[in-house]
This record gives sequence, C-alpha cells and structure tokens, in this order.
Amino acid sequence: MTQATTRSRTFVQALNEALDIAMERDPYVYMLGEDIGEMGGDFGVTRGLWAKYGDARVRDTPLSEAAIIGASVGSAMLGMRPVAEIMFADFIGECYDQLVNNAAKMHYMFDGQFKAPIVVRTACGGGFGGGPHHSQSVEGWFLNVPGIVLVAPATPADAKGLLLASIENDNPIIFLEHKALYRIKGEVPEGYYTTPLRKAAVARAGSDVTVIATMKMVHEALAAAAELEKEGVSVEVIDLRTIRPYDAETVLESVRKTGRAVVATEAPKIGGLAAELSATIGEECFHDLKAPVARVAGLDTPIPFSLVLEKYILPGKEQVIAGIRSVMK
Amino acid sequence: MTLDIETLVDLYRDMWLIRAFEFGLEREFKKGNVPGMLHTGVGQEATQAALAAHLQASDAFFPDHRCHGINALAQEKHQGDGERIMAELFGRATGVCSGKGGSLHSANPKVGNFGDNAVEGSYMATVLGVALAYQMRGQPNVACCIIGDGTVGRGEFHESLNMAAIWKLPVLYACVNNGYAISMPVGKGHASADIVDLARGYGFPCEIVDGNDIEAAYDAVQRAIAHIRSGAGPYFLEFKTWRWQGIFSGEFRPPEEVKYWKEERDPLKLAREKILAQGKLSAEDLERIEAEVKAEIEAWIDFAKASPMPDPAKATADVYVGWEVTA
Repeated sequence: MTQATTRSRTFVQALNEALDIAMERDPYVYMLGEDIGEMGGDFGVTRGLWAKYGDARVRDTPLSEAAIIGASVGSAMLGMRPVAEIMFADFIGECYDQLVNNAAKMHYMFDGQFKAPIVVRTACGGGFGGGPHHSQSVEGWFLNVPGIVLVAPATPADAKGLLLASIENDNPIIFLEHKALYRIKGEVPEGYYTTPLRKAAVARAGSDVTVIATMKMVHEALAAAAELEKEGVSVEVIDLRTIRPYDAETVLESVRKTGRAVVATEAPKIGGLAAELSATIGEECFHDLKAPVARVAGLDTPIPFSLVLEKYILPGKEQVIAGIRSVMK
Repeated sequence: MTLDIETLVDLYRDMWLIRAFEFGLEREFKKGNVPGMLHTGVGQEATQAALAAHLQASDAFFPDHRCHGINALAQEKHQGDGERIMAELFGRATGVCSGKGGSLHSANPKVGNFGDNAVEGSYMATVLGVALAYQMRGQPNVACCIIGDGTVGRGEFHESLNMAAIWKLPVLYACVNNGYAISMPVGKGHASADIVDLARGYGFPCEIVDGNDIEAAYDAVQRAIAHIRSGAGPYFLEFKTWRWQGIFSGEFRPPEEVKYWKEERDPLKLAREKILAQGKLSAEDLERIEAEVKAEIEAWIDFAKASPMPDPAKATADVYVGWEVTA
C-alpha cells in the first residue's frame, strides 16, 4: 500500500495531507466544524484548507454539535462525503443521539435505502492537564452501538492512510485523534494511499506475550517492550487501529502464538475495550492461555485537572510493564 | 382563498385516504394484527394532504410520528403502491423497509420520504444536511421536516433554525401544533403556545396557518415552497390543529374541547362544506369518493395481511455497508 518516497511528518501534518488529498480528489468531500476555517482548527489539522477550498467546503459552524453531525448525516444521505470535526471528544455527548440513533442505524432500519458515510474527527485522550471535559477516551461510549465504526491511529503514516480510507468508506466513522500524538513525528508516504480499515498492525513482533493497544498506549507498550527486552522478555505489540469492528483474527492469532495477553487502553477498565477484548480472548483462546488476560487501563474516575492527579489515574509504560510481569509469572 | 373544484376534490380524496388508512389501521391494531405502538394522524389530515400536494419526489421530507398519511400519499402519488406503507406497519417483507422500520421508520428516498427518526427532534438536525447538499449542488429542491409542538422542546430546534438561517438553507419547517405533546399542553410546555413566537428570532418568515382548513394549508405550503425554491432561505409554518387520538390510557382532554374539534373543526367536514358550496358536486358524489377510498384501503390491509413475514436471517443484514459483521 505504501509508496517508496516518505518524509518525516507530524501526526497533524499527516492528517492535513489526507484532508487536502481527499478534498482534491472528490468534490463531494467537505468539512464542517468549529473554528476549522480561517483559524485552521484548535489543533491546526485543517490549517490552509479554507484558503485553498473556500467557505463552502470548509465550513465554520456555531457551537452546535448536534447540528454539525445532523448536517453531516443529512448531506451524506444524498451522497456527500462530510468530514466533521468535534473539537474535543468529550463534546460528543452533545451529538450522541445523532451518531447512535441516526447515523449508526440509518442503513439498517431503512433497509439499505440510505447510507451515512460520515467521518467525525475528534481529539481525545488525556495527559496534558485538560481536566474532566477535555481529556476523555470515549471509545467505550460507542462500543455497544452496532453500525458505528471507530478508527484510532497511533502513527502519522496510519493517521493519513486511515483517514483517507475512512473518507472513502460508506459507514459512519468516528475517527479518534489522541492529542498526545498530534506532535509526534514519523515517516509518512507522499501522495495518495489508504491503510485498510478493520486490520490491526503488528507494531512489534515478539513471542512471549501479546500486548493489544490503541493510540497513545501503543507507544507506551512499545516503550515497555523495549525495556523488557533487556530482561529477555519478547513482547509482541498489536496496534488495533480499528476499534469497532475490530480485527479479532490478528489478535487471536497472536495470543494463540504467545499464550499470554495484556490489553492496554487509556479509558477506564469497566465496560470498555479492554473488557471486550479480554472476554473475547478468554472465549476463543482459553486453552492456549498460560495466564489470565491482564487489563491495563485508566482508573475508574473522571480525569482530574492537576497533572499529579492525572498521572496517577492514567496508565503509562510502568503500568504496561507491571501488566506484562503479572502474566509472565 | 378559494381553490378550483378539481384541486379541492383531489385534496378531499387525499384527506379521506389518510383518515381511512388510520381508522383501518387502528381497527387492525386493536385486533392484535399490528405490532408495536400506534400514533395516528386523524384530525391532522389537511396539513399532510397540503404538504403532499406540493412536495415533489425530488424533494425530501422527514415525517413525524403521526405521518402514516403523508407517507402513504407520497408512496401512492409517485410510485402507485401505497399499500407498501401499510405492509411496513404490519412488519411484512413487502413493506417499504422490508419490515425493519415499522410505523416510526418508514422511508423511501425515491418518493422523497427520508424517514422518521423516532427520537423527536433528531431529524431537525438531519434536515440541515439534506438542504445543504441541495444548496451545494445548486439543486432547487426543498427539504421539509414535519415536527410536532412537543419537538420544539428539543435543543435541536434551536440548533436547526439557527444554522438554517445563517446558511440560508432551503428548509421548510412544518410544525403541526396539535395542542399537546402526549399529555403536556403546548402553553404549559413552551414559553408561548404560539410556536412562531419562538421561531421568529431567527429572522426568516414564520406564519400561523389554520391547519384544519385545507385551502389555507394548501395556500400556505405553496407560498412557503415558492419562497424556498427561489433561494430565499428557510420558512416556518405553524399549523394549528388537533389530534383525535387521546393518550394510551384513553381520552384526557375536556369533553367540550373534544366535541368542538371533532364536530365543528373536523378538517374533512370543513372541506366537504367548501366543495358543496361551489355547487358542482353533490353529497352523493362525495359519498362515492369516500366509498372508493375506503375500498382501496381495505385492499391495502388485505395485501399487508397476505404478505409474507421477513426472513429472520435478514435481521443481521445491513448493519454495516459492505461488511458482514457477526459478533
């Protein structure tokens, strides 16, 4: 899928390239959201696109999240390809009904007569003192919603390829962008390419234990793996990339090989992705497991403001290491 | 205004079709032949007939809970198969959504029916996008959302009217104010019993219309749609009307109110009087029309009952576009 020529780009630049390419390729692609126009978005993801494509295709909206998603869905019903920005994932409660009862069910309840090909980009995740309403991991809010797609890149190259794939896909997609990753750099192929949805990546191959992670936790898992390698523990890191519907095949194949599994997510443990993955691994790989599945997750609290408090409740490299050690006993 | 006799009789037939549809459906519901819940549009026929008369198949409308009538009219007018709305309500494979949607989610884009979202107010946001797509492509179409007075309590009411106003979108808001949101009187649930008072601040035309006077309703919809098609932006119509159906436990409104609306303000009775006043048709002519329509509705009910149930395996189809997903 990837082309030969790559350049070092930040996650934000990679997303910006994807949007530019998508807008250039398809006149029905347009964007709407708060301050995405001349200002270029709160995190600069849409910078420069308003100047290039104008008001009609890069639309600033009032603080009306329900209307942003409603307008996206309605236009998608007629074949437009909207890319909406919800500035912070925490605000998605304001448009939850639009996503859950409207976008997610439309194709099903109307017997395939309508599609809702929308992409909702949103900035999630903590670690920067954003406080209780600018830091949450919201994937668990949507895991129980048939029809919704959750995409969650961890690298600049995947951010670009997955965003292009998402814009071309006919399903309603929530595209999670972890704020701690916005400034990381990585090699990003030039030009157009897509990264397949519903396909996890093996971020690091290993043989003793499988860590399944998403977004920022992929990097924490890779750091943990590098450290444990010194002790002779070989860690395989799976970057899930699409959270719903997820690539069970890659996950289960890896766990069958290593016999140990750690699921690492930033969201609280109860009822979330970590719970779902560990249940599925338990159901499918029980006889291959040498230890119970370990869950590394955020504590069951809101996200506090003070950095000391926030650090206490969010998982990082040390918690992943502790999780791996617990299954290696 | 006075409509010509042909138009008036067509509208009378349409209104009768709605009433016969709802009465037939109610009868079958009571017999246990129709699953789920039942919200009928009896008493509100004039609004629906007026909207159906002016909306084209290339326009879009979002029906509300009491819109079996306009759904059936659109289906009948543009495809000649209104019985597929009836079949949908019976949960049959021949329904417009093959039984997946039912009363509150009957849709067919080919006739402009974009489907109800049964969370009242939700489609007030969706209608913006349909209108935006028309605007971005330079199409002269109208996106209409039919809402009740209760819907006005939703936050989407504000978000929708505001965004339609700033972007000058081709949206027709058809607010069917039937006096009650289930049991909540309109004046108790909102800051004004006249919804237009809440809508006027957005700066586009708002009108109160007698929703039981077919001529007034027809005229108002025509005026609003002409305004929208000219590119002048959104339009808000508040139809004052009254629903005949009580609440699930029965009638809760004062007897004198019920008597007034059913006997003096019945939209069909008012339309009949207008037709007879023109002196071109007799009472017998109208009875013949009523009998024809009733027979047609009975045929639709027979069609629905004789239709096969959906294949249970279809319950897992179309969750995603292009992906078969089983958990």
